[in-house]
Amino acid sequence: MMDNSEGAQLRPGLWDTVNERYPGSMIVSADDVALVSFTRPIREARVAFVSSAGVQPRGTLPFDVVHPVGDYSFRRVPSTSRVEDLEIHQLKYPTDGAARDLNVIFPIERLQELAAEGAIGGLTPEFFSFIGYNMDPVRFERTLAQELADAVVAEQPDVVLLAPA
Amino acid sequence: MSITVALDVTDRAKPPRAVFVPFRMGHHFGVPFHPSLQRRIIMDALAYVEHARISGDVHRLPITWAQARREGLELEAASLPPLTNRS
Repeated sequence: MMDNSEGAQLRPGLWDTVNERYPGSMIVSADDVALVSFTRPIREARVAFVSSAGVQPRGTLPFDVVHPVGDYSFRRVPSTSRVEDLEIHQLKYPTDGAARDLNVIFPIERLQELAAEGAIGGLTPEFFSFIGYNMDPVRFERTLAQELADAVVAEQPDVVLLAPA
Repeated sequence: MSITVALDVTDRAKPPRAVFVPFRMGHHFGVPFHPSLQRRIIMDALAYVEHARISGDVHRLPITWAQARREGLELEAASLPPLTNRS
């Protein structure tokens, strides 16, 4: 087993590998986004969580994981959800850990605990999830990313944690 | 604040704030049934929201996948009943 004791990326060359297999599918940003200062103490901050892990409440329309150009929709996940009421629809990353403990990729129980303890100010009522398998980055930015950003802003978070699976 | 396991992807996407964990894809918050590690990653990421000074800088959390996996296995072993009590 590889011991990445120097803290290197465990799966090297990921961007190149995917870009060779699906040319033009990977996101490239030309410029850095200006850093917005953050002065509110974390213990007072309202936190939202956004994940590309394909996590969704059981009973909602499953993500289309086999569509040739991807699924450009997102799902709302109430931040009060129990892990047993959530499921994953996603084929592009290892889910063996999440199958045993969803918190390894969607740490909803830890966030609920931190909010209850006062370590963070609270949680937005809704968290959000989509799948990262989207082959058209321009369409992604104009549709899913914009719609999701609007939905997140409507939740009025102070901080948004993003976990690109 | 982006929590990433892929520095090369993050370098191109350029989120203004990011922390890197050298973990497997799909395991950004560590290993199963290791809540203290899962909490630590969340809180370290939130702390960096306050401390980041330059857009695009990626803060590396000082942990390895081997360490996380070893701790997870130890926690799971400790949660099992003694062999003599197992049916």
